[in-house]
Amino acid sequence: MTPRFDLSNAFPNGVTRRNVLAFGAALSGTALLAACAGPSVGGDVGSAASATPAQDWTNIKPASSITWWTNHPGNSMATEQTIIDGFQAANPGIVVNMVTAGANYDEIAQKFQAASGTDSVPDLVGASDVWWFRYMINEQIIPLDDLAAHLNANTDDFNSTLYGDYEYNGSHWAMPYARSTPLFYYNKSLWSAAGLPDRAPATWDEFDEWAPRLSAVMNGAAPLGIGKGTSWAAWWFCNIMWGKGGAYSSDWTMKLDQPETLEAGEYLRAMINEKKSATVSATDSAADFGAGLSACTVASTGALTGILKSSTFDVGTGFLPAGPKGAFTPTGGTGMAIPAGKTPEQQLAAGMFLKYLTDAEQTATFSAATGYMPVRTSAMEGATMSAIYTQKPQFRTAVDQLKNARSQDWARSFVPSGDKYLTTALEQIMLQNSAASDVFPKASADITTSYEQNVVPYL
Amino acid sequence: MTSTATRPAAGETSGQAETGPGARPGTVPPAKRNVPDPAERARARKLQSRRTQARNWLLFVLLAGPNIALLIAFTYKPLLQSFYYSTLQWNIGSQRAINVGFRNYTDWLTDSTTPQVIGVTVVFTLATVGGGMVIGLGLALLLNQKLKLRGPARTIIVAPYVLSGVAVGLLWLFVFDPNFGIVAAVLGAIGLPSPAWYNDPQWALVMVIIVQLWKNVGYIALIYLAGLQAIQADVLEAAALDGAGPVRTFRRIILPLLGPTSFFLSVTTLLSSLQSFDIIQAMTKGGPLEGTTTMMYEIYREGFVAGRAGYSSAVATILFVVLIIVTLVQLRFVERKVHYS
Amino acid sequence: MMRRFPIGGYIALLVAVAAMVLPLVWMLLASFKGQTEIYSLPIQWLPSSFAPTNYSDALGVVPFGAFFVNSAITTVVGAGIKIILGLMTAYALVFIEVPFKKVFFAIVIFALLVPQQIVIIPNYTLVASLGWLNTYQGIIVPGLASAFGTFLFRQHFLSLPPSVLEAAALDGAGHLRRLWAFVVPMSTPTIAAVALVSVVTEWNEYLWPLLVVDRPNMMTLPIGLTLLQNTDGITNWGVLMAGTVLVTLPILIVFFVMQRKIVAGLTAGAVTG
Repeated sequence: MTPRFDLSNAFPNGVTRRNVLAFGAALSGTALLAACAGPSVGGDVGSAASATPAQDWTNIKPASSITWWTNHPGNSMATEQTIIDGFQAANPGIVVNMVTAGANYDEIAQKFQAASGTDSVPDLVGASDVWWFRYMINEQIIPLDDLAAHLNANTDDFNSTLYGDYEYNGSHWAMPYARSTPLFYYNKSLWSAAGLPDRAPATWDEFDEWAPRLSAVMNGAAPLGIGKGTSWAAWWFCNIMWGKGGAYSSDWTMKLDQPETLEAGEYLRAMINEKKSATVSATDSAADFGAGLSACTVASTGALTGILKSSTFDVGTGFLPAGPKGAFTPTGGTGMAIPAGKTPEQQLAAGMFLKYLTDAEQTATFSAATGYMPVRTSAMEGATMSAIYTQKPQFRTAVDQLKNARSQDWARSFVPSGDKYLTTALEQIMLQNSAASDVFPKASADITTSYEQNVVPYL
Repeated sequence: MTSTATRPAAGETSGQAETGPGARPGTVPPAKRNVPDPAERARARKLQSRRTQARNWLLFVLLAGPNIALLIAFTYKPLLQSFYYSTLQWNIGSQRAINVGFRNYTDWLTDSTTPQVIGVTVVFTLATVGGGMVIGLGLALLLNQKLKLRGPARTIIVAPYVLSGVAVGLLWLFVFDPNFGIVAAVLGAIGLPSPAWYNDPQWALVMVIIVQLWKNVGYIALIYLAGLQAIQADVLEAAALDGAGPVRTFRRIILPLLGPTSFFLSVTTLLSSLQSFDIIQAMTKGGPLEGTTTMMYEIYREGFVAGRAGYSSAVATILFVVLIIVTLVQLRFVERKVHYS
Repeated sequence: MMRRFPIGGYIALLVAVAAMVLPLVWMLLASFKGQTEIYSLPIQWLPSSFAPTNYSDALGVVPFGAFFVNSAITTVVGAGIKIILGLMTAYALVFIEVPFKKVFFAIVIFALLVPQQIVIIPNYTLVASLGWLNTYQGIIVPGLASAFGTFLFRQHFLSLPPSVLEAAALDGAGHLRRLWAFVVPMSTPTIAAVALVSVVTEWNEYLWPLLVVDRPNMMTLPIGLTLLQNTDGITNWGVLMAGTVLVTLPILIVFFVMQRKIVAGLTAGAVTG
């Protein structure tokens, strides 16, 4: 047996010019076949809004079967099935096929983008806070205002921030479904060991005062554990940034170079790298908190059940601390959108299901099962929610905090890769002790470029 | 009637002239026939040759056609489409696109993260190929010793190679957890703090390199072991008789004899390292701070996460060209080596 | 010849084996631990009970039974057809004389240099336009063509004794009969080796099925496994590790039972003759 390399005896004469030419000929033969699929190419892509003619819904009959793409936020597959059963019982003519189109919002979005223009586009699709805008500029979803009015969906009852998140150019492009906010979680035993009052710090200044006392009872460890990574760091950081009067952007105008924004970045840097009052968790800040590694953390409302399950101490929750310019919280999670390119019958049926899915009763049911926010004002004080508040008092905090909710800055949520560029800058601040004034300008430039290339041509 | 084809000598050219007497080197001579007239015989042969050739074509298409059609449909055609997409400004879900020529290429080459991505790709590739071959050779030498239980040991060492990359990534994600994983526990036992595997870009790169090595090093050892076992015992005995020590024998005899094996491994592991995706996706998703973003991962992230299909195709094309160049260079290198030996 | 007991060799072997086994043992142990056992400091090596709670949780959250069936079907059908295509192509390339054969061989060989990830966007577009999303053919067909298998079979066929086939030809056996009655039986070790390597590859395939399948009842095991990662909540390592065990165990069993043939298949690429 002699070991020999494969390709060396594939061509005993070596890779000769002749072989390569023959190969080239074969390849160019297939080139003729290559031109057919893919997008149509033009110099101008036109405007999303003008390409969507108004639909008259009055004489449309709903389709008998629709497909719904969801990632079952918060392990909600069973709950979602219950909701479907309820809808089908109320509307015997319509069957809803639930499809697990991914493990998370990004996977749903990948599948939806890729499925565009094929038969497998769903009738109702999960549209997260950072994705719906891209669906819109790609003309993949329809505005819902006319349809909602036709169906009497009572959109005024939606929490105005949560519904307003999906507004662009005077139209709403999705309805809120599984929506979350970050909360301040704290370890009550460490809190009492440090002699602190049983509540979250009201302001970041107060946290700064408390931090050394917590460190003292934690063998000098940093009390606040925070998370990194895309879809997270640049999201919860809004709280610190808005509290100091900063912003990523105001509409399409970048605000990263503004002194307030830089100051917020500087605050984050100092907290981790100088004051040692915060540390960046390795993989999962909620898990580290539940294990008692940190005394407090900022985590999604969706993590509440998991934290309660994994912790061996009493868990307290509170609003995210306020800054000098006020208390603000970002909101996240997913809404539901209706794809374009389906028949009006399918869109109408999808609209009917969407109305049912987001009505006061279902949103309360869903909220109770998963820990996501109820999205309707009327649901927040209903019987279902009241029962939950008694059972899990921490949950009340999240609902109450909605009064501080503020819609996302477009630089993060609307610009493709905007969240990625901001996360990179924030990770440099947190992990590499970079000054905000050194890293924000680059993020700003990158986002501007992406905006000019990926958004402007489509508006 | 006899069929004509026999096995041609390897490497014999088959693109011979269309017809003509004696043009088919593989033809079994029709010796048993008794047609006296040579001209008539030649004509008959010509006719038969044509008929045989048509039948051969039919058979060839029947047997090789489906496979070659699939290769063209799902490898070559999309490869060309990919070149074409790389000249577009195209969001993956959109039905429309703008032709931008080579802007995606210049954008990538001038992007400030590109040097970082190239650096990560080079480090990851060199470490997994070079490190893998050194450790793999060491393991092969070990398994080539006359040790008891070396058979089961070999099986265990190769086992990770057959596991799903996603599963391997997830399991190591937990192994490396700086608080609750075994790496931290082992380091803690000897008084060392756990490195910031997930927060420090450099350590994160080290981490995914370790996992890639863990998964693939058994395969490399296996191939080297086969190479070692192919070395004739008398060669080594002769070296021993000449008074060569183990180190000298290894350097002067074993290593050169393993040359073709090393070359084979360098090509295959290079290809698989450049294409490595599952482990990075399961463990770091390219982070922190793009510290584990290889070109392959960037292709995925730009194409399917950011949805920039044109840009992603441009990076894919660049990676493909690099791959071809590296492979051709390696091929030329081995040609010399092989001719030399 | 008396030799010193090679203690150093055994220690090295032990270290190597431990490095390979320990992570797998850690995975297995963690799959039985509850949340508080996993998140405890100092770490707790053994679970307090071996009750399969995490397994039933994993099976309850996602349909692992369907994943398993899908993985089995795509693996067996995919690898099976791939082998047949490879055998037919290699036979044609070696034993049938046609002009420009080298070109066809080049098409097969150069395909080895095209990473599948690079062509994934156009392939997705094609498969979707055929209406093959969420179908077995959508998962299987794009990766069906045999390049490496064809290459290995060709190498093997070139080494077969020509006399046998010449004799068969003189006896009037046609090409198809020569392929099935002579070439295939003379190649069973190579076929088995290539088949097992194909099985392992198909079973572990990740990126492509991730893209073309979005219904749980059509997902394969590696894709389904990632559904257990909860993004919005908190990492539940116990359940995740239980899922990982369910994905790795079948292929490990296959490997340990058939390891001789798999090893032969892996080395066949490097060692010929």
